[in-house]
Amino acid sequence: MKNLINRHRSTLVLLVVFANLIVLANLAAGDPKDWQELVWLDIAGEGGAAMLSLLWIALILNSRPGGRVTRMLVAGLSGIFMAYWQDLMDEFIRLPESIMWDHWLESGAMPLGMVMLTIGIYHWHREQQAISAQLLRRERIFREHRSLDSLTPLAGAHYLREQLRLELGHAHQSVALIMLDLHCFDHSRRLLGPADSDRLLKELGELLLLNLRQQDLLCRYAGDRFAVVLPGSGQGEAERIASELQQLAHHFAFKTRRGESHFIRVQTGIAIAHDDDEASLIERANLNLARSLSSCQAA
Amino acid sequence: MKGYLPDSAFIPAHHMPAALIDLVQDQGIDTHRLFRHTGLFPDTLMRGEARLSPQDYLQLIHNARQLCPDPELPFRYGQRLFPGHYGAISALLGQAGNLQECLLGFEDYTALISPLIGMRITRSQDYLCVQWLDTCGAGSHWPFLVESAMAGLTSVTQWLSGRSLPWQFQFSYRCPPWPEQYQVHLGGPLHFESCMDAMLLPRGLVDIPWPGGAATGWNVARQQCHQQLQQLGFSHSLRQRLYRHLQKRVTAPPSLQEVAETLGTSPATLKRRLRQHDCHYQQLLDEVRLHQAILWLQFDGMTPEQVCRKLNFSDSTNFRRAFKRWSGLTPSACHKLLQALGE
Repeated sequence: MKNLINRHRSTLVLLVVFANLIVLANLAAGDPKDWQELVWLDIAGEGGAAMLSLLWIALILNSRPGGRVTRMLVAGLSGIFMAYWQDLMDEFIRLPESIMWDHWLESGAMPLGMVMLTIGIYHWHREQQAISAQLLRRERIFREHRSLDSLTPLAGAHYLREQLRLELGHAHQSVALIMLDLHCFDHSRRLLGPADSDRLLKELGELLLLNLRQQDLLCRYAGDRFAVVLPGSGQGEAERIASELQQLAHHFAFKTRRGESHFIRVQTGIAIAHDDDEASLIERANLNLARSLSSCQAA
Repeated sequence: MKGYLPDSAFIPAHHMPAALIDLVQDQGIDTHRLFRHTGLFPDTLMRGEARLSPQDYLQLIHNARQLCPDPELPFRYGQRLFPGHYGAISALLGQAGNLQECLLGFEDYTALISPLIGMRITRSQDYLCVQWLDTCGAGSHWPFLVESAMAGLTSVTQWLSGRSLPWQFQFSYRCPPWPEQYQVHLGGPLHFESCMDAMLLPRGLVDIPWPGGAATGWNVARQQCHQQLQQLGFSHSLRQRLYRHLQKRVTAPPSLQEVAETLGTSPATLKRRLRQHDCHYQQLLDEVRLHQAILWLQFDGMTPEQVCRKLNFSDSTNFRRAFKRWSGLTPSACHKLLQALGE
């Protein structure tokens, strides 16, 4: 809350000043109504609508970074708030017939606000399309913000299982799964320290994303193990992509905070879906990964 | 020496608890909320003066789990725990010449290295069995402690031995909906719902020398640990002490009265202290007998009938009923399950 107030001080001050000006203008021009004249249902309805539009402003300001789209949305909502606010004042204060500005405020601010809000939402939609394009290989089919991993901005194993279930539902196409594991990550973690090793996972995730196709999905399975879902791919293609990813990781010179290069190696395990469910597909990929790990240690 | 209680404040907050505090802070979570009800303050923590009781430590774990409900948390916390920089005990672990010398640190100096979860070591013909035991009544946080201890021991033994050791893992509880965390962080064969929380290793790997072993340093560190325990006045929790006492006399268990006399206290005080640990005498005795029965079934090739006789049950129906009450399984079902693990 404090953070919200600090970041958007000027916007919020402007809003409070305008609301107060409206109250003062009403008081100066008109007379308060009697207690019996008040219509409580209208007061609750109009007051509630004003409060809700304030709440929307707060949520928008709190959830979005600053910028053109945010300004547009807030300006639109502010217009709507002013209109309801003046409406609410009418319930308490009787203005003389000769005064026209209150009608302008009520009937002008509302449509103006709505137009600005609509433009804002349209641009928000465009912005969201751009973000979705960026998230494509992290999300694939559906969005679920609760399954995001806390360490890397990738989805976790739960999301992987859900996605595989969806993919395996399409009987007509084959699905390949690659499990990718860092070699001796336990050792790297102790050498690099927790902050750098966490960053290593994050950066490796970014790097892997850059090297996948549009239709692929990357998740962090757990710890230092990543999972890549390749829809519509067979053994050959999966092997090609797996070896590309291995080479890529091999050439990745991660920079520690001291600026030194830290090199890594990864192992992969591939499984192709043959009418099995997501659990057995994951299990087979993990098994193949364990095999390649032990053959690597023996060598 | 007496045992520590859940409210004995002796755990330096900048040692093991700090690993959890740092981990949670790395996630960008506010420490004020993490320290709630733990009696911990940032300034006393930073001065190295803060001491937590096992209860406070459990509260800290509770808060961390609330603020960061990620199933990966116990594993990442465990991986940061050992050997640590906790003075003599860390020096002892770091200079251990083999697994045996490393485990000795955990077994004998629980208060210094792992105050919430103790270790019972059993050596059979083929296997070394490292079993994890509740020292202070962890309640719903028991799986968290087991996971962190297992991840910690797996990681530190891999680091110090210079190779990954083929541990097997046995859990008393059911596999939660995130098997991946266990697969990746622990590796090795995993057996859930297998009566006890333990790690097994082929016996032959216990004495293989480790590269960082240093006999003199290890011996000095051991003496320093011993001195630290003398100053504290205890090496294990009261619950664990009692467990060990009963373990030695499992075939002819003493009464509460007798135990109290051996510990130099009155039965009423002993009962009250055990209640603080969230357990009572009979419950602890049952636990000791169940664990012993499992170890005999699993490692000594005994049949349920032999175990029944060895534990001095009058007849097999009584034993069956008691065993079912302790473990939820009949002795023969448990025997079958444990036999299947060995294959």
